[in-house]
Formats: sequence, structure tokens, C-alpha cells
Amino acid sequence: MASAARRGSQRVTLLMLVLASVTVLTLDYHGEVSRGISHVRRGVLDALAPVQRALAAGLHPVGDVAAGAFHYGALVTENGRLRAQLGAVQAQLAENHFAVSRAEGILSLEGISFVQNIATTPAQVISSPTSNFAYTMEIDRGTASGVAPRMPVVSGRGLAGTVVDSGTSTAVVRLVTDNQSSIGVTFGTGARASSAIAVGQGVGQPIAVDEIAGRTPHDGETLYTSGTDGGAYPAGIPLAVVTSVRTSAGGLTTTVTARPLVDLAALEYVAVLEWLPQP
Amino acid sequence: MTPKAWGRVAFVAFVALLAQVGVLDQIVVLGAHPDVMVVLAGAAGAVGGPSRGAMIGFVLGLVADLVVPTTYGLSSLTFVLVGFAAGLVRSLPGDRDGRSVQVATCVAASAVGTLLYALLGALLGQSVSLGQQVVYAILVVTVGAVVLGVVASGVMRWALRGADRGEPGHPVPSGGSATR
Repeated sequence: MASAARRGSQRVTLLMLVLASVTVLTLDYHGEVSRGISHVRRGVLDALAPVQRALAAGLHPVGDVAAGAFHYGALVTENGRLRAQLGAVQAQLAENHFAVSRAEGILSLEGISFVQNIATTPAQVISSPTSNFAYTMEIDRGTASGVAPRMPVVSGRGLAGTVVDSGTSTAVVRLVTDNQSSIGVTFGTGARASSAIAVGQGVGQPIAVDEIAGRTPHDGETLYTSGTDGGAYPAGIPLAVVTSVRTSAGGLTTTVTARPLVDLAALEYVAVLEWLPQP
Repeated sequence: MTPKAWGRVAFVAFVALLAQVGVLDQIVVLGAHPDVMVVLAGAAGAVGGPSRGAMIGFVLGLVADLVVPTTYGLSSLTFVLVGFAAGLVRSLPGDRDGRSVQVATCVAASAVGTLLYALLGALLGQSVSLGQQVVYAILVVTVGAVVLGVVASGVMRWALRGADRGEPGHPVPSGGSATR
């Protein structure tokens, strides 16, 4: 009897909580409440930013030192003094390597030819995707630095993504591989110029090239933003290189995929283009 | 549950969120990272029973959704179901309160929770493709849960210690129910 009552109580609790969750979900689709939720989320991201910055800066040299120390394990056991010296040298090397890597990352953002005369805001990536199913990253620049939603984000090699949310000191960037990413692209020049839509398929997955207007691109051909898809991106930013062109047995359909030019898994520094789509 | 127990749960949720965004999000394997929040939801059910698992899962989901760019409430819905389902394991015959059982429940709950999140996300039109990446995410989260489950179940036992008034020395009520 008591067991049946308890089960009944459990079911009521479950039902109430499911309803509460569905209510929250529904509220997020409501304009004003959604803005409120976004505001709270930005506040939380801003509050967590110092922790993320510290860890992003701290994890690189520590990882390098740990990797380096592993190879000297035998010597360590033989000679304590040498171990200390080697450790110090390795730590210094790791720090130098990190500093060089950091400098190279920042320098690669200088004078990017494809951004032409658009002003840029350099930023450091402080967080990898926070969800296993939405491919975004967080950068350490926000509205205080002029970073706003819909601004394109590039690295020295090409387009990385678009700002989708911006707090005071941080911003969330949707990567070009995200499923919701859809970018108008062009390839070829002159009479051979054609256009298509590049659609993200998830991290680690190639970009799908759909709705091709004109000729089919060939392997190794570079895709550039066309600037014509409602003006979401400036024209001429390199996006991806075609890696596969497959035509079905009947020749009716052609599947084209491309690899992003930017190594999204190893991004440390990016530049936000101070450019907004035309209304 | 007593206010004190809820305070401990809130503290656990806060620390877990810091660990998630500060450390675990950086451990990317096959394009996915371990997820401590879903493991905690499973642990809440495994340790506290279905009702508590669902309630704590709801709170953990609200906290987790603060830092992910998907629809707010998606994690809550997922974790409510995960916490409740994990709690049902406690009503099975056998050594329901054994630590290894609790950890195993966490691991299973994490795998199911990740799949459920992907399915619900796809249903709600989120940027989720039900393909290879879901398999990778389940794999990485499940392997991570093997390690995190040990910690999570221990932490939940601490958080839910004396959660019912009049039972200060008993970690959780036997019988699998949070509501008496």
C-alpha cells in the first residue's frame, strides 16, 4: 500500500518536473523571456571568463612540460641534480615555445589580405565548444571591445565562424562546421565562376556544398564567401577547400564536400571583423 | 529534502559547472568532451532515488544550460528523465546501494542521457545531426563517466546525507524514494 502510494508520488513528481522543463523550453522561444535568458547567460559567461582565461593560459605550458619530462624519466632516476636542471630548462623551453606560439598566433592576424580594409579586433579563444552538439567557441572580447552578434570571425587562413552572442567581455562564436551554419560561397573566376551554399555538418565532419549553380567544383578548389547570401559575410573570405566530388551511378546527383581551411580544433587566436551584414 | 541538503546540491552544481567549462570542455576527443553534469544527474538518481534524481536533475539541467548555446531547458528535461530512470535502479532487487552499482548506474545514465539529449535536440530543431558525432559523443561521455561516476556518486552521497529530517546519520533513505 505504502509502496503504491510512493510510486504514485514519484510519478507525480516526474510529471511536474517534465512539465516545468517543457515550460522553460517554451519560454526560451518567447521573445522577451528569451532575451532575459540570454542576458543571464551572458552574465554567467562573463563571470566564468577569468577562470577560463587562467586555465587557457595555464594548460599549454604545463602540458608541454609534462610531455617533455616524460622523455627524461630514466635520467631523472639517475641524477637528481640533472633532473632539477633539466626540469628548469624544459620549463623555460616550454614557456618560450608557448610565447613563440602565442606571438605567431597574434602575428598571423596582422595584415590578413582577404579582410581588405575592414577593421578587426584580435581575440583569444578561451573555451572549446561547451556542448557536444552545438559547435561554438568562446572568445575573450565582447561588447566592451565592439564585438557584436553577426560579426564574422577569421583566422589567418580563412573564415572560422560568426559571433552569435556577445557579453561585456566575452562572445560566443558559431563555427562554420556547426549544423546551423549556412554560407553562400563562390569558386572559380570569370566565366568559370559559380556559386553554392556551404553547410556545416558538425565538428570533425566535412562541409557539404549544396545548391551548386553553374559548374561542379573540382578537388582542391578553394571556396570563398560570395557576399551574396543576404550579405551575411563580406565577399572573398577563404572558407574551405574541396576534398571530395562524387557523382551517383546514374549521374543524377553530385555530392561535394570540403574541408575548412581553418584548423578549428587548434584555434588559439582569431580576429573579429568589425563588419555587420547590411539590413 | 532539507534546505541544508539543497544548499549542498547547489554548491556541487556550481563547482561542477566550473569544472565543466574550465577543464572538461578542453578535453576534446573525437570532437566530444566528457560531461560531468549528466553524470551528476545519474548519480543523484542512483543515490537518492527517482524523485530526488528527477528534482536534482532539473536543477543541474538549469545550471548546465547557462553555458551551452542550445535552447534553455533542454538539459533540464533530459536530466529529469535521466535522474528518475537512474533512481528506478534502486527499486530493483539486489544490492541497490552498493557503490559499484551506483557508479555503473551513473555510466549507463550518462550514455542514455547523451542519446536522449541528441534526440530531443533534433526534435526541437537544434543543430544536432543524428549521425556519427552522436556515437562519438556517447562514447566519450560514457568513458568519462567511468571516472567521473566514482567522484559524482561520492559527492552525491555527501550532498544527500541526512537529506530527510530525522535521519541525520543515514546517507539516503532506503527504498528509493525521495518523498516520504
